Amino acid sequence: MDATDNPIGKAIGGAACTAQGFVIPPGAFHLSASLDDAIRRSCAAPLRDGEQAHPIFAFIAALGGMGSRVGDVCRGLGLAFDSGAVLGRCRIDYDAPLTVDTRYDVATSVVALERKSSRRFGAADHLTLGMSISAAGDVRARVRLTTIMPAPA
Amino acid sequence: MTSSRWELPLVPAEAMALWCEALGDDNAIHVDPAAAEALGFGPRTVNPGPTNLAYLLNMVMEAQPDAWVRCVEAALLGNVLAGDGVTAQGTWDEYGMICDAELALETGHVVLKARIEIENGRDVDGDGEGIRSQRL
Repeated sequence: MDATDNPIGKAIGGAACTAQGFVIPPGAFHLSASLDDAIRRSCAAPLRDGEQAHPIFAFIAALGGMGSRVGDVCRGLGLAFDSGAVLGRCRIDYDAPLTVDTRYDVATSVVALERKSSRRFGAADHLTLGMSISAAGDVRARVRLTTIMPAPA
Repeated sequence: MTSSRWELPLVPAEAMALWCEALGDDNAIHVDPAAAEALGFGPRTVNPGPTNLAYLLNMVMEAQPDAWVRCVEAALLGNVLAGDGVTAQGTWDEYGMICDAELALETGHVVLKARIEIENGRDVDGDGEGIRSQRL
């Protein structure tokens, strides 16, 4: 892969700190029926009918199954995660419904790291991660999420 | 064009720990009121953003129980705190396939906006083109 093929290298120009070369290890997420039941109870969701998990599990599997905790990724990049990080935006594309009692492999990369002006913080760092969630080698969902946190002083 | 509505009168603080564990989220604002207060959120824990998104998905699942979600694009605009009441409202396109949804606090303040696209598993006329072709 050369520099022009590297989505990280293309996306982070002008960022607060560089994400070039920052590797997030692959991980896995076991979506059990009992966890789906518990999550549904916790958010007053309809009961499961069949094997199909609550669609929020694409998001949960992406974050819970990535090889590092999102806080550790942010801290590793020198970002102020502990100063009040919030989720800003997300997009989830489903290739198929997620099912319970299934192991999902999660591959994560840094898509963009940008510093922007912020009404709340003065300046804020926007970290966008992209996750691919696969089962038995087939991609089931693609997640892109942006975490926003105050820029370090 | 139709609309949907879903309500949760009280967001439970005790559920947040489960979400944090599942998400691998160690941000203390979700489980420690003192941490939330120290960071300017007030003396109540902050509901994880994905939980708020789940409320909108609940509304869609109740409105279209035979469908599955194909795409979600969401902007998180504010925070939901333990003890808040929330209302999800959505407006569907003429085909019943795309829902523009928002989650608001009891004050009316919108904390989350999303566009949710679904695919309906029903093939109404049996021609393999699905419910969209039946409704055109």
